[in-house]
Amino acid sequence: MGVTRRQLLKFSGIGMLGAVIFAGCRIPDREFIAESPVLIPEDLVEGQDAYFATLARPSTGVESVLVRVMQGRAKKVEGNPDYPMSRGKHTAQAEASLQELYHPDRIATPLRRVGNRGSGQFESISWEDAIDELQSKLNEYSGNPGSVAMITEPLRGALGTVVNRFASNYGATQLAFEAVDQTVVRAAFKEMFNQDRLPIADVQNSHYVLSFGADFLSSWHAPLHYNWQYGEFRDTDSSKRGTLVQIEPRFSMTAANADTWVYINPGTEGVLALAIADVIVKEGLGDAAAMITLGDVIATHAQPLATAADVTGVSEAKILEMAHDFAGHQPGVAIGGGLAAAQTNGLFNMTAVYLLNALVDNVGKKGGILFNPDAPVKDLVSSAAASPLVDFQRLADRMRTNIPNGVNAVLVHGADPVYALPGGLQFGRAMMEHVQFIASFSNFMDETTAMADLVLPDQVPMEGWGDDVSDPGPGYESIALQQPVVMPFVDVRSFGDVLLATVEGLGGGMTRGLPWNTMKDAIRANAQELYKLNRGSIQQYPSFEEFWVGILQRGGWWDTKAKSKASTKAKIDKIPGNAVPSFSGSVAEYPYHLLPFMSHAMGDGRGAHLPWLQATPDPITTAVWSTWIELNPNTAKGLDVREGDILKVTSPKGSIEAQVYVNPAAPPKVVSIPMGQGHTEMGRYAKDIGSNVMSILDAVSDADTGALAWGATRVKLTLTGRRSRVPKFEGMVVPRLLDPVGEAGAGTPGGPLYKISNGKDHE
Amino acid sequence: MQQRPTLTEIEINRDLLRPTLDTPMWFYGLMAFLSIFAAAAIGAFAWAINHGTGVYGLNRPVMWGFLLVNFVFWVGISHAGVMLSAILRLANAEWRRPATRAAEVLTVFALGTAAMHPLFHLGRPWRLYWSMPPGYDFGRGIWPDIRSPFVWDPTAISTYLTSTALFVGLLLIPDLAVLRDHSSGMRQRMYSAMSLGWRGNTRQWKLQIIAGFLLSALILPVFVSVHSIVSWDFAVQIAVEGWNATIFAPYFVIGAVHSGVAGVISILALLRWMFKWENYIRDDHFDALARLMIVVAVAWFYFFIIEFMMGFYPNEEPELSLRNLQLTQWPFNAAFIVFALTSFFIPVPLWLFRKVRRNVALMFWTCVLVNIGMWLERFLIIIPSLMRKQVLTFNWGSYNPSPIELILVGGSFAMVFLGVLTFVKFFPIIPLADAKEGEIMATEIRVGKVMVPAAYREE
Amino acid sequence: MAVEHVERKWGMAVDADKCTGCQACVVSCQAENNIPLNESDHFLQRRAIQWIRIERYWEGEFPEVKARFVPMLCQHCENAPCEPVCPVFATYHNNEGLNVQVYNRCIGTRFCANNDPWNVRFFNFWEPVWPETLRNQLNSDVTVRSRGIMEKCSFCVQRIRRTIREVTREGREVVDGDVTPACVQSCPTNALVFGDLNDSDSEVDKLRKGGRQYRILDHLGTEPSVYYLSKVDPHAVTEEAHA
Ligand SMILES: Nc1nc2c(c(=O)[nH]1)N[C@H]1C(S)=C(S)[C@@H](COP(=O)(O)OP(=O)(O)OC[C@H]3O[C@@H](n4cnc5c(=O)[nH]c(N)nc54)[C@H](O)[C@@H]3O)O[C@H]1N2
Ligand code: SF4
Ligand code: SF4
Ligand code: SF4
Ligand code: SF4
Repeated sequence: MGVTRRQLLKFSGIGMLGAVIFAGCRIPDREFIAESPVLIPEDLVEGQDAYFATLARPSTGVESVLVRVMQGRAKKVEGNPDYPMSRGKHTAQAEASLQELYHPDRIATPLRRVGNRGSGQFESISWEDAIDELQSKLNEYSGNPGSVAMITEPLRGALGTVVNRFASNYGATQLAFEAVDQTVVRAAFKEMFNQDRLPIADVQNSHYVLSFGADFLSSWHAPLHYNWQYGEFRDTDSSKRGTLVQIEPRFSMTAANADTWVYINPGTEGVLALAIADVIVKEGLGDAAAMITLGDVIATHAQPLATAADVTGVSEAKILEMAHDFAGHQPGVAIGGGLAAAQTNGLFNMTAVYLLNALVDNVGKKGGILFNPDAPVKDLVSSAAASPLVDFQRLADRMRTNIPNGVNAVLVHGADPVYALPGGLQFGRAMMEHVQFIASFSNFMDETTAMADLVLPDQVPMEGWGDDVSDPGPGYESIALQQPVVMPFVDVRSFGDVLLATVEGLGGGMTRGLPWNTMKDAIRANAQELYKLNRGSIQQYPSFEEFWVGILQRGGWWDTKAKSKASTKAKIDKIPGNAVPSFSGSVAEYPYHLLPFMSHAMGDGRGAHLPWLQATPDPITTAVWSTWIELNPNTAKGLDVREGDILKVTSPKGSIEAQVYVNPAAPPKVVSIPMGQGHTEMGRYAKDIGSNVMSILDAVSDADTGALAWGATRVKLTLTGRRSRVPKFEGMVVPRLLDPVGEAGAGTPGGPLYKISNGKDHE
Repeated sequence: MQQRPTLTEIEINRDLLRPTLDTPMWFYGLMAFLSIFAAAAIGAFAWAINHGTGVYGLNRPVMWGFLLVNFVFWVGISHAGVMLSAILRLANAEWRRPATRAAEVLTVFALGTAAMHPLFHLGRPWRLYWSMPPGYDFGRGIWPDIRSPFVWDPTAISTYLTSTALFVGLLLIPDLAVLRDHSSGMRQRMYSAMSLGWRGNTRQWKLQIIAGFLLSALILPVFVSVHSIVSWDFAVQIAVEGWNATIFAPYFVIGAVHSGVAGVISILALLRWMFKWENYIRDDHFDALARLMIVVAVAWFYFFIIEFMMGFYPNEEPELSLRNLQLTQWPFNAAFIVFALTSFFIPVPLWLFRKVRRNVALMFWTCVLVNIGMWLERFLIIIPSLMRKQVLTFNWGSYNPSPIELILVGGSFAMVFLGVLTFVKFFPIIPLADAKEGEIMATEIRVGKVMVPAAYREE
Repeated sequence: MAVEHVERKWGMAVDADKCTGCQACVVSCQAENNIPLNESDHFLQRRAIQWIRIERYWEGEFPEVKARFVPMLCQHCENAPCEPVCPVFATYHNNEGLNVQVYNRCIGTRFCANNDPWNVRFFNFWEPVWPETLRNQLNSDVTVRSRGIMEKCSFCVQRIRRTIREVTREGREVVDGDVTPACVQSCPTNALVFGDLNDSDSEVDKLRKGGRQYRILDHLGTEPSVYYLSKVDPHAVTEEAHA
């Protein structure tokens, strides 16, 4: 076919015109894509929401939060931006309290046991019947009131007052239970500074933090507040970015964030602290006055540098370096707790550690250790210590041997001693077999409640009234308030309300000091006193009612000027306890130190029933929904095990099974197992998952305070020959095709993935 | 040259229509047997719809698995059809005659089966139509994104499937007329409707031949585009370093021809064995196909080497670790060795021997080996690359096919065979007209002392 | 209309020097965005969904060992590779710089997830189930996704919308700090900072120009809207980690 020149021109002209029109009429990509008639539903949010300030009480500590409520349902927890311990932030645990509120396995009504004790068979009863039964039992035992034991969590605030007065009016034996307690740290402060409240380390303003065993970013004290402080501490804009040195036999989350992690032989933290102190004194680096007052004590207890290095496993050079850095980078602070306190020589360790602060005179100073004043209201309990292990030992003995008249009744609230006391104590068995009447005020069917004869379910914090004196606090007076933000879907009553409802029927002096009908009354009464102070965060309100609304809206009351007036000078003539720890189990038979640690998400196990917490990856291993044992790669090689192999972990007091996780940061000769799993009750999300490491702990305790030394048991490891995959978030670097279990590899960093700067380029 | 008897038209009709008009019992047995597997696959898919995509072994980051491997495999197989019939028709290769229709039919069923895989694979299969031209939901503003290879894919595949089906249908017309004249009742009515009034006059023959040539020419670019586009499903992905390669389109096309021709050879060998068609599918044909295979295999292997080696050039961690995974880690190392042996190193040297090329059993097995290898090739490209995506090693993963996926993969083979057999039951798989034309063109030439049959060519 | 401020471009700064790996952001995002419960099996199947996760990388060997935390979420790439591969526009870019996921449109090809270099797209392999009582907690501003579709971090678009609505009602413009995604709100260390990258007064804009910034996989050219601030470590174990 021949094409004429004319045709060619015509066709190409049409073609070009077409192309121009086509390009010109093209709908811009953005319009074409984004402005389609279908908006995403999230573009069209409507509906009213409201935020109420209240408290969340996860196992890691009380937090002041705002709860977002829509149509009567709590939707979201957010940190209270005003309250000094929250600063608009919250932890994973506080968030998960929503799931406690709406947990499908919550106890919905009072229950009475119908089957054998522990069989889990209960019938629903009315609150009137339940309170009648409680009253009649308490009346029955009133002739021997000491045979009634009340076990609660350490209670502060108005509830503390109510429970303490109830117990003392009745004459009951009162115990406060916490699986991992602060007894030793408290005792050290009592010893040195005569302080009965937990202090706080001013990490935020510190330039050098020397932390002995305190996993303060994860599970120790007040992780929320410490994480916030840590963020400020890391501020590179300030001229000096703080340095964090973590001294711990386990690679904890805090160790992972430390600038330097120093492995130390378990229980020798006191020796190290004294060695550092000794260097400071000898080289005259500390506070002049303090070196004079404390010099003798230090000289008496400190070991020669070489010996200290040998005992602790920390090199002499490192000790010298830490001493120089600590003294040279003031304000600096030394913190101790966690594994360092959980030893038979815990008090020795803690005293030695906190002595370092006194030595550089940073107590009560910015960037050092701050004391917390008590609440300015007399009916508020400002601080509550847990009862040491020996008290529970005594109680168990009384149950078993009927001295002086045994234990007739146990009332338990907010504590699960059957699960969490060391297996060596056999507490659950004693209670099961020897106690006539057990009443539980738990909102959840935990191991202790499952043994109860009467269950009087408590509210969760979002449903009821309460308050808290922050402990540790921010360094000044602070009270947080808890108000109901939703109506319960279940028929529950608060523990305090039930006790207050019972006292009338018990007659006698039971009402002494308990003039309130409900907890709300008690809290309002305390607020009246605050109102009268006319100072602090909420003041100059014309009427109490307005003040009341004001403190409820802000979630509490605090006064940044009201600081502790206690003396900050340490008084001490000797360091109590042994320098060297002792362990349950011989090295020959039990070659590994067992270092249990609080699960980052589930704490001591009180959070195990919440699926969000079960599914929260452990920060280091990313493992979830299981119990694993962290082994050094060489230890694993020596045992010929790899990830997923199930090991039997045997202590002198029992054995459990755990899946191997080979952790490149695990030291040889120590093995770590998280707490929190191995529940036999606690609802669908906790039951029969993993194993309970507390159950193999020996009931050994700190020699001076009697507190449980949970880091003082040794174990041996045997292969079971079984294997199963470790549920975790991290990837599988080694293929598992055709291998049902497979193996994970630790990820190796790649070039463009993350960058590290040495900090100098920004100065 | 091989001795061959001279066949009459009556003999040709009798032999080639035997499976259609006089179906043996074992044929039904075989169909029933294959149906079990096909039904299992349908059941597995129903299970997957009912329970969700979770029944597959997929995970993060291995979001595509065996189903995509199998999809690529069947699209690859489907490439032999036009490759053989169109190219050979255009080139007027005499030996194509018995092979063309089998090849085209294999294309249709392999492609149809492949087209089912995206359906199996989707999270919401009932919404597949949203990505296909007839399914655009303009009313609700559900537009397709024409930038996505998953829009190109259905377009290319449906074009290819339509044109191939048309091709088969068109070339079938004269044979359908023969069937019409040999059958009665329902079947006769069906065949007469399908033969579109074919009377065999000169004008009809002329039109049919021209149409055949035209379609051949038109399909060729489609065939090249289809597997190029399938390769772009992978090659456009910047996130998957193992896939993000510009060589993928030609590499995939040539690989498809490699596996496709091997598929055709296997099918021809089976047909010859099942229906005793030694007179039609002769050793010459296998010889010629095997020579073609050598050329294709070497070309494909060249691309493979280039693609593989290029991975080492940038010397980058993820790519190296991918090659390490493919070459050294169980079970990929085993798969790699099997792949290399079966797709190239065993068959190609064997085909160099005339004895092998003319041994039907050996040709059948070597071609089966090629396809085992080519399946593994897709597996080795698709899965390890996803396991080693980028440098975020925290997310590196693995993948195990689930039983449901295995059933679907197995069932897909049954479906293709079942399709081909169903075709054989109703239509002549060797074109009668072509065979007869071949007889007419056959002549005897003297080679040395003997007279041997041969074909002459019209110029 | 919902989208009117064309000039906004939301982005985030992640300070790797501050993140402690505390996982508050992870759970906060789960609560805010109706993320299905991750049960044990989901982890074993490697199908657990966390729109934000804390990646942990190892450096060195005991005792000179370091763990590094890298919070990882959708980078809301300006030039997102996940977008053009989606055949049905289920994922697209809006004019505020968000990579939006339209659950209703998604047909579940998982193409976008393959082409997302960060692996932050999550597929609903199973129908998400909550016990009846736990459904009370679900956020009514956020779609509950069904099975067979893709989901990912949305930069809490519902919070952006709600804030814009409320701020408009107050008769003022959105200022820095008004919009806080759930993860940013919870992060105790303030490692996460969110804001408008086009607002030169915003904190996020200052941080991304502050000196320590980098973007992960920057070389791919996808223009992520998430800027990382490098970890400061004078004692890093690996030499090459010093970038
Ligand atoms: N089919 C249908 N749909 C409708 C309408 C209709 O007429 N028919 N009407 C529309 C209209 S006008 C409206 S207002 C909406 C109403 O819709 P919804 O807001 O859903 O109202 P309800 O379904 O009446 O009740 C909501 C839930 O609140 C629970 N509830 C009751 N008391 C309390 C309490 O004290 N605390 C808490 N936390 N929960 C409580 C109830 O048990 C119930 O499950 O429905 C709209 N949709
Ligand atoms: S990070 Fe991934 S999902 Fe997010 S926009 Fe970029 S490519 Fe898409
Ligand atoms: S999975 Fe959904 S969003 Fe992703 S590419 Fe497929 S259809 Fe699009
Ligand atoms: S921005 Fe919102 S959706 Fe994205 S990770 Fe944070 S909380 Fe989740
Ligand atoms: S909340 Fe903040 S500090 Fe905690 S893990 Fe997330 S990004 Fe890191």
